[in-house]
Order: sequence, then C-alpha cells, then structure tokens
Amino acid sequence: MPRLYKPSSLQECLAALASDGDAAPLAGATWIMRASSRGEQARRTYVAVNGLKELTSVQVRDKSVSIGAAVTHEQLAAVLTDLPELQVLAQAAAHSANPAVRAVATIGGNLCAHSFHAADLVPALLSLDAEVVVARQTGTDQLSLGRFLQIRANLEPGTIVTNVIVPRRMALSAHARLPLRAAGDYPVAIISVCMSTDIGGVVTQARVAIGSVEQVARRWSELECVLVGCRLNPNMFARYADELRDSLNGRDGTEAPGWYRVKVVPTLVRRAIGQACKTVAT
Amino acid sequence: MSISLIVNGDQRMAHVGPMTSLAQVLREDFHLTGTKLVCGEGFCGSCMVLVNGKLTASCLLPVGAVQDCTVQTIESIAPNNEALAPIQQAMLDVDAVQCGMCFPGIVMALTALFERQMNVSEKDIRTALVGNICRCTGYDRIVQGALLANERRHNKGA
Repeated sequence: MPRLYKPSSLQECLAALASDGDAAPLAGATWIMRASSRGEQARRTYVAVNGLKELTSVQVRDKSVSIGAAVTHEQLAAVLTDLPELQVLAQAAAHSANPAVRAVATIGGNLCAHSFHAADLVPALLSLDAEVVVARQTGTDQLSLGRFLQIRANLEPGTIVTNVIVPRRMALSAHARLPLRAAGDYPVAIISVCMSTDIGGVVTQARVAIGSVEQVARRWSELECVLVGCRLNPNMFARYADELRDSLNGRDGTEAPGWYRVKVVPTLVRRAIGQACKTVAT
Repeated sequence: MSISLIVNGDQRMAHVGPMTSLAQVLREDFHLTGTKLVCGEGFCGSCMVLVNGKLTASCLLPVGAVQDCTVQTIESIAPNNEALAPIQQAMLDVDAVQCGMCFPGIVMALTALFERQMNVSEKDIRTALVGNICRCTGYDRIVQGALLANERRHNKGA
C-alpha cells in the first residue's frame, strides 16, 4: 500500500525523496491518481509538496515572475490577470481541463507528467522562454524548459521542480486550443504564441510553441523563422503554418488521429495570432 | 491507517490507505452513495464534492490529502428530510433530471457557483458546468433549472 508523507519544509521533502528511490512528489494528484488507468504501478511513497510555503507562492518581479511548483492553475490564472505580457500563460491556466481539476492541478505537475501529451501550460511556458528550477539535497539547478522536457522522465531520484521562472519581456501573446467539446476536456492541438513587433506592426521576434500534436510539446522554429519580418496578419500566418505542416509529426491517440491534429494547426495559428493582436501591453 | 475528516458536519474516520480516493471512501466506507464514481478521470463531474468549500473531483483526491478537512456531499445539501435544496427543487420543477447519474455532481457544481457569486448569468452557469457531463438531457433544461434557482434566490431576497 503506498505511503503518503507530509513534510513540513523543503529540506524535509528533499530528504524524504532522497531516502526512498521509489518515492515521488505529489501535489494536486490529478495525474498520479490515474496511474492505474494508464497501466502504471503506484510508487511506494508519495511526498506531499502542496503544503510547502516555498512552492506555493508567485513572486512578480520587474523582469520576471517566479512561480512555485505547487501553484494551481486556478491561482495562476488569477495572479496573471494583470500582466498583459503573460496572457498566453493566463489563458492556458484558465482554460485547461475543468474548474475542479484547475483548483488542484499544479504547474509543477503539468511539467513533470511526462506521459501527458496535452498539457496546456507546457507550450505556453515554451513560448515565454521559461526556465525551470530543480532542487535536490546537494543544491539547485536552473535550466531551460526545453532542456527540462528532454530529461524529465529520467530525473535523478530525490529531485523536484521547485519554481518556474518566466521572463517579462514580450508584448503580444495568446494561447489557442482545440478540445473536442467546447470546453472541459483535453485539447487535440494547442498553439501558444508570443511576439514582439516594431511600431509598424512588423514582427521582430516570434516564439510559437505547439502542444498535444506531437508526443512532447516543442517550439515550432520553422514557423518562427518565417514570421519574423512579416506584418502581423492572422490569415497570412495561418497560410504559412499550412505550408509548414509537413514539419509536424502528429501523434495518434484515442481522441484524434495524428493527421487530424496536424490539420487543425493552421486554424489554431490564425486564432492565436488574432487573439494576440488584441493584447495590449502596458 | 486512520484518517479523520469532517463529512457533512460529522467527524468521521477512514481506515484505508492514504492514496485511496475520497470518492471511494465516501461511497464504500461512509455509504454516502450520492457521490458517484464513474469516469475516475476527473472529467465527468459525477464525483464532485466540496472540500473546505471548494469544488473538487473526489475521484482524483487521495483521502490522505484531506485529513481534517471539511467535506460536503450531495447528502448535506437539502435543509432537512422534507425539503429539497433550492437548486434541487428548481431542477425538479423544470423536469431536468433523467437517469440521475450526473446530477449529484451538477448540483454540487452549481452550489459552489451560487456560493461564490450572487448573480449568475447563463454563461456563468454553462462555464461552471464544463466539467459535468450529462448523457441524457442535452443540458438545456439543467441550465433552465439553474436560472430558475437563481431567479428564485433573488425574488426571495427582494
């Protein structure tokens, strides 16, 4: 029978994780509680991290926002409401899953659930060029989210995500997702965009991330290269996305086949760019 | 392992593993079978309860994580054995209930909405119910029932 340990500090948490090679951190539990439905074995020990004050706060600084790993989607959406440059993340947090799941599911869980392909926060954070802070008893590391996604399935035992650092620098951003129902379920495809423009509306920097389409969310660098230097135009950008569809490798899943996920991407690009154009940075 | 929690105002003890879902404990240990355990994925909403006043999918919540918390289930919503809660009565009046599998969760979701917001629109109701799946009614009568409950709440307060 799995144990549930509730540490009172981050140090206790790290010690507990290090002392048991089959221990895993537990926050909202929404992914872990479904382990058996995925045919996965339960861990011997779970270490609750959602009571640790070090992991439950959001600190808004001049140039970045530090988000504790145990901050819930609901909390995140509320905190980011007044930060126009992070609207992509606010929208992702506010529309993922459904209200009851958003109330408990955390940003750390969303990043660490490596077999969850449809996580909303991952592409949003990729588009914002976020970094991830991981801690173990011997110290901490800060690495790019892209790098973290590559290694997350094989993190050294005793390692946890403590914070996500999001730079505050781009002006226009938006998150577009396509669930099969109007809302409340997993998206078939996700596009997160974050762009800066000159005063004439020409894109000077573009970050486009794609989620749920492939096995792991990633930046769509082929499209980003094309968009830089173009005037903001949702329909035109959707056409560019359509021309680059061959660079995507759609995954087959119970909700949708891979070809369908790829097919809807240009529409989501148009919606995301259109939404981003409405964003006004302060 | 013994886990204490306050369910519908009563102190209860669950003698189960801490990773057992709250929904399973409510149904199998406390025999509060109004809470349904259907999809087990947090998407159908039939297991929704209030934990410390917050709407929660109890199928995804380890009971060990809610030690000493206050849990309200559908069984606590009506004021007594003779009367229904206003939301329940409104659903009955518009004939919204069919098989009843999803309804405890829908009533709990609407209870949470009404508790945090005094005046609700149709959009608020539909947004609040995105995590509740009904395979019988097509939702329109459920929304009508919620709007009726909202209207009665305001008429009563006027």
